[in-house]
Amino acid sequence: MAITSFLFVPPAFSSTPGIGTLLCQICLLHFSLSLSPSLSPSMAAWDLSVTVEDLGPDTPPVSLSVTSDLHVGGVILKLVEKTQIKRDWSDHALWWEQKQCWLLRTAWSLEKYGIHADARLHFMPQHKPLKLGLPNGITLRLHACYSSPVFQTVMHICRMLNIRHPEELSLLRPIEEKKKKKDKDSTEEIYDLTEVPLSSGTIHSFSTSRPCLYNGMPAHFADSPQMEAVYKMLSVTQPPPAPEVIAKQYRPASVVDKAHINGRWLDSSRCLMQQGIQENDRLWLRFKYFTFYDIEPKYDVVRLTQLYEQARWAILLEDIDCTEEEMMLFGALQYHISKVSQSEPQMLSSSAAMDDLESALQSLEVKMEGESSSASEMLVETLFICFRPKRLTLKGYKQYWFKFQDTSISYFKSKEESIGEPIQQINLKGCEVAPDVNMAAQKFLIRLLIPAPEGMNEVYLRCENEQQYAQWMAGCRLASKGKSLADNSYQSEIQSIHSFLAMQKTNSSSHGNAPANDESINTHSLVSPRYHKKYKAKQLTPRILDAYQNVAQLSLTDAVMRFIQVWQALPDFGLSYIVVRFKGSRKDEVLGIAPNRLIRIDLGVGDVVKTWRYNNMKQWNVNWDIRQMAIEFEGNVNIAFSCVTADCKIVHEFIGGYIFMSTRSREKSDVLNEELFHKLTGGHEAL
Amino acid sequence: MIVIQPPESLHELEDNDLDALMADLVADLNATEEKLAAEIKGLKTPSPTTSDLPPPTPASSAASSLPPPPPQNAKPTKEEIEAQMKADKIKLALEKLKEAKVKKLVVKVLMNDGSSKTLMVDERQNVREVLDNLFEKTHCDCNVDWSLCETNPELQLDRTFEDHENLVEPLSAWMRDSENQVLFQERGEKYEVFKNPQNFYLWKKDKRALKDIKDKDKEILIQENFCGTSIIVPDLEGVLHLKEDGKKSWKQRLFQLRASGIYYVPKGKTKSSRDLVCFLQFDNVNVYYGKDFKTKYKAPTDFCFVLKHPQIQKESQYIKYLCCDDARTMNLWVTGIRIAKYGVSLYENYKTAEKKAAVNSVWMNRSTPSSSNPSTPSPTIKDPAFPPPPPSLPAKSSSRPVAPQHKLPANFPPPPMAMDNLPPPPLPPPIDDSPEAPPDFLPPPPPAAGFGSLPPPPLSMNSLPPPPHFGGMDQSLPPPPPDPEFLPPPPPEPVFTGAGAPPPPPPPPPPPPAQAAAVPRAPVRPSGSVRKVPPAPPKRTTPSLQVGGGGGGGDFMSELMVAMQKKRGDH
Repeated sequence: MAITSFLFVPPAFSSTPGIGTLLCQICLLHFSLSLSPSLSPSMAAWDLSVTVEDLGPDTPPVSLSVTSDLHVGGVILKLVEKTQIKRDWSDHALWWEQKQCWLLRTAWSLEKYGIHADARLHFMPQHKPLKLGLPNGITLRLHACYSSPVFQTVMHICRMLNIRHPEELSLLRPIEEKKKKKDKDSTEEIYDLTEVPLSSGTIHSFSTSRPCLYNGMPAHFADSPQMEAVYKMLSVTQPPPAPEVIAKQYRPASVVDKAHINGRWLDSSRCLMQQGIQENDRLWLRFKYFTFYDIEPKYDVVRLTQLYEQARWAILLEDIDCTEEEMMLFGALQYHISKVSQSEPQMLSSSAAMDDLESALQSLEVKMEGESSSASEMLVETLFICFRPKRLTLKGYKQYWFKFQDTSISYFKSKEESIGEPIQQINLKGCEVAPDVNMAAQKFLIRLLIPAPEGMNEVYLRCENEQQYAQWMAGCRLASKGKSLADNSYQSEIQSIHSFLAMQKTNSSSHGNAPANDESINTHSLVSPRYHKKYKAKQLTPRILDAYQNVAQLSLTDAVMRFIQVWQALPDFGLSYIVVRFKGSRKDEVLGIAPNRLIRIDLGVGDVVKTWRYNNMKQWNVNWDIRQMAIEFEGNVNIAFSCVTADCKIVHEFIGGYIFMSTRSREKSDVLNEELFHKLTGGHEAL
Repeated sequence: MIVIQPPESLHELEDNDLDALMADLVADLNATEEKLAAEIKGLKTPSPTTSDLPPPTPASSAASSLPPPPPQNAKPTKEEIEAQMKADKIKLALEKLKEAKVKKLVVKVLMNDGSSKTLMVDERQNVREVLDNLFEKTHCDCNVDWSLCETNPELQLDRTFEDHENLVEPLSAWMRDSENQVLFQERGEKYEVFKNPQNFYLWKKDKRALKDIKDKDKEILIQENFCGTSIIVPDLEGVLHLKEDGKKSWKQRLFQLRASGIYYVPKGKTKSSRDLVCFLQFDNVNVYYGKDFKTKYKAPTDFCFVLKHPQIQKESQYIKYLCCDDARTMNLWVTGIRIAKYGVSLYENYKTAEKKAAVNSVWMNRSTPSSSNPSTPSPTIKDPAFPPPPPSLPAKSSSRPVAPQHKLPANFPPPPMAMDNLPPPPLPPPIDDSPEAPPDFLPPPPPAAGFGSLPPPPLSMNSLPPPPHFGGMDQSLPPPPPDPEFLPPPPPEPVFTGAGAPPPPPPPPPPPPAQAAAVPRAPVRPSGSVRKVPPAPPKRTTPSLQVGGGGGGGDFMSELMVAMQKKRGDH
């Protein structure tokens, strides 16, 4: 019985230097030694065959005459001499196929490794190209380390991509795409990062420290235009996907479906080769632990962008459930984010008005003129108004001369009488504004719910045309938030109303092809397929516009942060599901693993039946023989379960990983405590 | 009981109210403000919005009553500024323009004992500042439960204002003939979620387990829910009774609270998020407790809460009435809604309130022992404690009504100057108060008894309750008492306390606070350091203790910590 218990004991061993450097040293050492050929007489020499990848796939294995006390470094040296190829071999190492392990300890003898003549060894580089699917859906080709634990491989990758806190991410096997036709795969654009030199060394200090930037990006991206393009792809959000693209993707339909994806995570404590990942295979890079530590928009451009992309796809593919209202807000934020990121991203942060004298003067001017009604902060027009309409006919509307000033609208019998007292003045501060627009029917109504001591008064304003509507609607929106028409957001508000109207126009006329033109985003691109069926695009537009008015002022970073926050506030946020069988139970149930707790979901009831928090957890054990996990909580609460949709190592790693995440804090040193991670998440090897 | 009165009707107020008001008003008329305001044409015709309570009138009248002193001091300075830079002037002018538009209300606040206090509240003041003001005036223990509440007798509603809210805005929604009141009360439920987060975030667990929860676990709960990138709303779900529109009947529905609003499960549907129907979102509504709804609306129980737009003051179909089975559920929902609506502000308010309480408790602890000493020494000590006032003080105390204004220029030349240079609008109130305090301060020594119920001389009432305590305190710790009095806004206090530790704080103290006041909520650091001194009034402090903050307990987290530390040691 192999039972691993996870109590907390200080790690006993200290970290070893980078494998590459170690190898180099040993090679040098043995170069000098090999000058005096010495085979110990007591040992019999035998033939060891090694496949050298660099000689090509069809070349037969190289045969070496060795003795059992020869160390691995010596083998490599012989091999290199025999191939007679001059190149940098420092990244190469021996891979033992049968045992599925690297022979990285070059000082160990063949005997110590237990290698005999039947061993099939491969001599190959430790870093090989890997196709990496990013959270934004784009594939990147880069050199990854196939010999170090995945945890470290991810650290390397994140360092290359400039993502801080790599411990929150991991690699998983992608979901196989059903290839109906031989379509786009060949044309799929792959960004190539394989040219980036492998930077060895200070991985540790990188994990949380701030990278120094060159031209606003890490130095290795500033080398060439191609590299800059890669950085742009990493750090700028992708335009909304076409609705068909969303519809084509796999969507989990149930909790059990959602559980399956978690069986795909790679084991962080073993290397890629050991997990059957071959050169040029495809893996996904995803945020795995949903505790995002120390987000710093200034340094986390790529991290935030990719996090946003992952969140966006989780919403669009209904990986996480939300309500219709929340979906509309997500839609509005996506629209806003894509709009601002397509325009000048640098311009966004400058919203600090009043700072310079210019704007102060301007503002003063406006204020002074405000008393004498300047055109810039007043709207005057003939509109129709209707109070408490009984039916939605145009019957109840009467025409008046309207004046919009500050946050109030007043109306008069006619233009001539507008010097005197208005018939009524309505202050819009705190009111609710809703559109009622039908482009096809040329209906432009503004519905106002105006609070009064007696309740809300419902008022409709009818505009003649799009232009008029956009101006008055924008005014009403600002006024409802206590801003006047002089506010500098007035013009942009008008703009966004126009562009939403334009969306409605294109949606109603031509349906289907949704080019990336900013003016004509198909609103179906912003919501999950469920709403494609439920609403037509033109029905969706006003709903999203409605939500949009609350976020239209946000800067790009703020909008991205807001999206992530709203996502985090969803009740099911951060839950990773695994189908398990509890001890003593005869049916499958679902275990939900969250950053701070475990939940048990009864599939019959479809609801959470039990919650256990990590801070009440005393210890957990893994019985590797029967693949069972047992957890003990305070108050003599014990649970045990076996895992159905994922290996118990994955579950074990999830729990240990979250415990690890909770140990991070600012007071402690910035160095990522890799060993504690392995201690908490590793299997037998770690003990 | 009506709170809002236009200044013209000031003479209708009682005497002591008037005095209090005068003090406030005078404070408002900072000399510089006055001049600048006069300069700008736009000033005299202030904002149309403030029409119901014309602030300019009092201002101008006050100005006329004591024109000589301020102008002298101010006009030269102003010319200087002009000479300096036009730009400066314009910026300043802008500030003043805003100033001129500031709306001010006279608010009558009902105390627990049935008495009342009248204060002047300006548009920019938030509830926290008003509470601090009341702390000075009432000499209460300043604990975090003290709240300002608004009641609406017609609808039988009440709610506590949140500390970050501006007070004037909600009060402006009241009707002229409103019977609404503002109360100053201890309301335990206001910050209960921070004292016992488990009752809200783990409400499903059995009550016994919740009672025994460790402080460290409470800390973790607060960390998790209030200190992350996103505020987490307690996951509330349950059957509530909803009053049907326009009817007296109540029907049951399964409601769910989410960060984005309240939802219900439509009949025959599952609880899955996508099927939920939005009942209401929080942008435009406040949450109120309903009183005695069983009788009024035939509610199933008296544990009701209400959601409505703050402007709605009478019965309307736009008011949503909800009824819970018990008080606990009601508090869960009301608190949950507040968290969803106000988010992190709520927690920040709490931290500020807690600091306030802690500072105060230091002071209380010190003062109790020393207060046994005769109050005689106090006058002598006072002088060192408050260096700035002495010179001008005597003059002022002799002639109260006019004095305060004189004082401004004479006593505190630096503050006005500072203002000219950096015109942050929030400044005036604090500064006004501080000059004011000294005069009041001097006379009190004799009337040691006068605090709380007995406002001895009208004037002393506004800002002078503490003097008695003061005297005793001075010996050990002079500063704490004055700071509330002197500079009501949070920023100054810390400065003062900090300075107070060494015996005689030299003159500088007042000016720095004035500048510090530019940063509205500054007390963070200083008070933090002070807080550690007292025994332990607020046990759960704040972020410093993080997960497994090193407590000795044999629990999981602390073991981890030990492991980590050892590990680091190894390296």
